[in-house]
Amino acid sequence: MANSQSTRHEPLLLIGPALIVIALLFAFPAVYNIILSFQKLSPYQSPGEAIWVGLSNFTALFTNNQTAEAAWNSAFWLTTLTVVIRLVLGMAIALLLQSDVLARWKLRGVCRTAVLLPWMVPPVVAVASWKWILDGNTGVLNQVLVGLGVIPRGIPFLADTSTVWWSIIAIVVWRELPFVVIVLMAGLQSIPKDQYEAASLDHAGAWKSFLHVTVPNLRPVITVIVIVTVIQTFNNFVYVWLATGGGPGTYTQVLATRLYSAAFINNSLGQGAAIGIMMSVVVAIFAIIYFRLADRENGARA
Amino acid sequence: MTVVTSPHHTTDLGGVKSAVRRSPNRRRLRDLLIIIPTFVLLAVTIFPVVWMIFTSLRPADALAGAVPWNQFFSGLGFASYERLFNGTSFARYILNSLMISCISTLFTVILANIAAFGLSRFRFRFRRAMIFLIISTQLLPFVVLVTPVYTLFSAIGLVNSYAGIIIVYTAMTLPLAVFLMLGYFDTIPTVLDEAARMDGCSTLGVIFRIIMPVSLPGIVTVTVTAFIATWEEFLFASVLLTSEQLKTVQVGLAGFFGEYSADWGVIMAAATVAAVPTIVLFSVVQKRLVAGMAAGSVKE
Repeated sequence: MANSQSTRHEPLLLIGPALIVIALLFAFPAVYNIILSFQKLSPYQSPGEAIWVGLSNFTALFTNNQTAEAAWNSAFWLTTLTVVIRLVLGMAIALLLQSDVLARWKLRGVCRTAVLLPWMVPPVVAVASWKWILDGNTGVLNQVLVGLGVIPRGIPFLADTSTVWWSIIAIVVWRELPFVVIVLMAGLQSIPKDQYEAASLDHAGAWKSFLHVTVPNLRPVITVIVIVTVIQTFNNFVYVWLATGGGPGTYTQVLATRLYSAAFINNSLGQGAAIGIMMSVVVAIFAIIYFRLADRENGARA
Repeated sequence: MTVVTSPHHTTDLGGVKSAVRRSPNRRRLRDLLIIIPTFVLLAVTIFPVVWMIFTSLRPADALAGAVPWNQFFSGLGFASYERLFNGTSFARYILNSLMISCISTLFTVILANIAAFGLSRFRFRFRRAMIFLIISTQLLPFVVLVTPVYTLFSAIGLVNSYAGIIIVYTAMTLPLAVFLMLGYFDTIPTVLDEAARMDGCSTLGVIFRIIMPVSLPGIVTVTVTAFIATWEEFLFASVLLTSEQLKTVQVGLAGFFGEYSADWGVIMAAATVAAVPTIVLFSVVQKRLVAGMAAGSVKE
């Protein structure tokens, strides 16, 4: 393909436009975000009017106990719980859909398509339809529960502190579970059959062969699922914001909704930028520790 | 630590299957242990979508309170859709979304094809680093980018403009598109482009006249993924497009159920309309998309 000296620059000319557009959204803003976190600026001012305020955005962040609350909500309720539930349910569903029984009843194809349905629905639509199901007065869940006499009157699931987190978790798990199921199913299909046959010759029951054949084989797949879902969920804004707006009060406030409120409702772009940096650092630390552990685990196995 | 090695590994496996035989009745009972959980699972999975569509078709008074069972299906119609399209600006939001998604998807597909060709057909320094950087953008948190992007865009007049959101959406969907096209191009033999070059084709000519036509299935997948991603996006649309004239479908829909006196018939009608394009498009490429995603995750 070496026809002239233009070949030397040709790949750069081809890749350049895409790289510039990507940099416009990712690289420049990421750097500018650091500058912004040391400034005071409102969305109604131009960047030139920014005032340098040193570390005060960060000190304000760390002296405010709402930050700790939001960090806990992000890490525990929004991320850890939903990822663990997705893994456990996803594994159960993947195994269920692999079962020969479904194939014999000619249900496998239908089930595999139906399980994907929540993933085809835009997240905003998912929140809308769950908000309607969970509505305190006329929601179908309350009507059924009251009708059956389980509860005396409707519970405002998304406004009551005892139910609100579990309601958000239901929405997140419902919409995001299919990804986990798909990847686990692909992982299951790649496990060599003879390993199960060997296990059954060793008189290993279903549970034992699950523990000693399925789980070890799926370990790399699970590693990928955990890193992708943790990062995506920790940074997710749309579910909590649209389901509760961080309420009741600040009860379900997470870092992502705090960032948005700080920047665009309290009009302090610098505060928002500071929260963004804090979130990036948390994610980076998690990724480093997680890959170290995963490497050591895999090393011990090899 | 636990390594599964069986001393019987080399023995003949032919007899394993016949080892266990159950009576037909016990088998049917065991089947139910799988079938029943499956139906429960399907019910929970499908219900929110079915209920959304059903609600959008019910008369307004049926949504206000409990309805006797025998009138559950009475009075179904499109009244909510009429209120949606006559009483709100939702039609305008649909046009906005269609235009923004189509244009940014077009840009993404063109830029991704050119860039992926460069990455697939040339070997140069930093090639691997470039691919790695492009993929790693997928792990960058979007919510963190929204403040600096807003500030930068407001300084150069890109807030409340189609151009601003189209740039964001093109950049947002490009990395995955480049990655998918790169995988596709790597499978196309280079003899094709060499032959075209002999006939005097320029590089862009090779890409647009030779490579892209044979990559059509890959391009369809990339187009659909990009369209869905931009159609679904909420955060940047809500920050960058605040004027009523420019709102997208998702932002408009979120505005409906943020209001105090929620008309759930209209909201569910809007939600149904907002979900139709993604469900239809997803179904079109479902097999390829799912296989590709699964393969990507398992390979790593």
